[in-house]
Amino acid sequence: MAHVSVPLYWRTLPQRYRLVGQKCKKCGSVNFPPKGVCRYCSASSEFEEVQLSGRGKVHTFVLISAGGAPPEFAEQEKAGGQYPVAIVQLEEGPKVIGQIADVDPKEVKIDMPVTTELRKIYTEEDVIRYGFKFVPATEGR
Amino acid sequence: MAIGISGYGVYIPRLRIKKDEYAKAWGSFAAPGVDEKSVMGFDEDVLTFASKVSKRALESVPLPPDKVSRFALASTSAPYVEKLLSGTILVSVGVPNSAFTSDHTTSTRAGTEAMLAGFEHVSANQGGSALVVAADAPSASMWSTMEHALGAGAAGFVLSSDNLIAELEGSASYASEYCGERFQPREDSLLHDLNVKKFTEGSLMTNTTKAGGALLKKLGRKPEEYQHVVIQQPDARVPASVAARMGFTDAQLASGLVAKYLGDLGSASTPIGLVSVLESAKAGDTIMVISYGSGAGSDALSFKVVGDRKATVGLKDQADRKEYIDYVKYLKLKGAIV
Repeated sequence: MAHVSVPLYWRTLPQRYRLVGQKCKKCGSVNFPPKGVCRYCSASSEFEEVQLSGRGKVHTFVLISAGGAPPEFAEQEKAGGQYPVAIVQLEEGPKVIGQIADVDPKEVKIDMPVTTELRKIYTEEDVIRYGFKFVPATEGR
Repeated sequence: MAIGISGYGVYIPRLRIKKDEYAKAWGSFAAPGVDEKSVMGFDEDVLTFASKVSKRALESVPLPPDKVSRFALASTSAPYVEKLLSGTILVSVGVPNSAFTSDHTTSTRAGTEAMLAGFEHVSANQGGSALVVAADAPSASMWSTMEHALGAGAAGFVLSSDNLIAELEGSASYASEYCGERFQPREDSLLHDLNVKKFTEGSLMTNTTKAGGALLKKLGRKPEEYQHVVIQQPDARVPASVAARMGFTDAQLASGLVAKYLGDLGSASTPIGLVSVLESAKAGDTIMVISYGSGAGSDALSFKVVGDRKATVGLKDQADRKEYIDYVKYLKLKGAIV
């Protein structure tokens, strides 16, 4: 299992729970997840915090089936069945990776609009690790 | 100063199980009037529910999260027995760390406890806004017939003195000592019930009718003056027996009867019932809400509808969006296969 200690996890809570990103003060690009140095201009380490909308489009995705899940997600696959993992291009620019929840895996399509919400990612050391997952951005959900 | 509900949000997880699945597995189904019920997904718990309805309730006003000065969370099925639960919601929604928070967790009355805590805050703090959420997905042993009714869902409300949809007219409470009905010993994460039907019915009847009766008296109202009544729904029949005793009719119960298609929503039962009513109510309608929690106690709240602004994501949308699962998948999701 990819071990993430609680203190390390805790330091990244605003980005995991609420998609707090950073805007480079030099080139204006939005970095997510937050970085030490801007990954776009590589010339600045000064940022301001920005709240991302959570909205985006599926850039590409893969379906994880039996035997394909990393150990921390094996139980999820066993109980809930196949699940999609996507690279999503956010409205603000960054491409981020995450699961798509609350969807029939067969309905996932490239360019599908998605939004984010809080879900349980996995549990380690009896501590529930919450974080964002993508869900389809349909009306009336 | 008039205070009341300025916005609301609701969330029902997508999965459903029909009563036929229970009949196939056990030979019977023990939740009167419940046709199907909602089931929590594997990667959800009451805190992810609460995060979702908090955002929806705030958007429906709309109110920015940094304007919330009081947060209250109700649930009988929290993932931790000890640990502040509100913190997860504050961070995921963006409610200020300076907001006073409280977690209400020990009975299905918790939903109205949280609402009343929120109302106390907005009546004492002019300009204050309370975000109150009830999120529940109770669990019992698969061997227990009380398990059959248990569903999952959440509702949240923004309470303030501004931009009201429904004004609070008054409240009354009644608490008493009953034991042996729906309890959870510290050493067990599942609900217990000694299954003494008459005793349970007596407790429920006493507490609900005392709280409801006291509120009618306080407001000088008669049951027939209400358009809508929401009563705790451990199944879909119980509300009718309480209503009959108090002089309310089935017609007054209809708009808030959600257990028929969602099951027993625990502390979120009356809050989700209230959302259901708000979606169909017209300005001028009056609503009586009576909760019940074992142990035992009831809160009664009376509302007058003053606006018909609806939330963007409605209960009907949520109820219609569903995927049926069979009993084996249900056992897996409930963690009942170990």
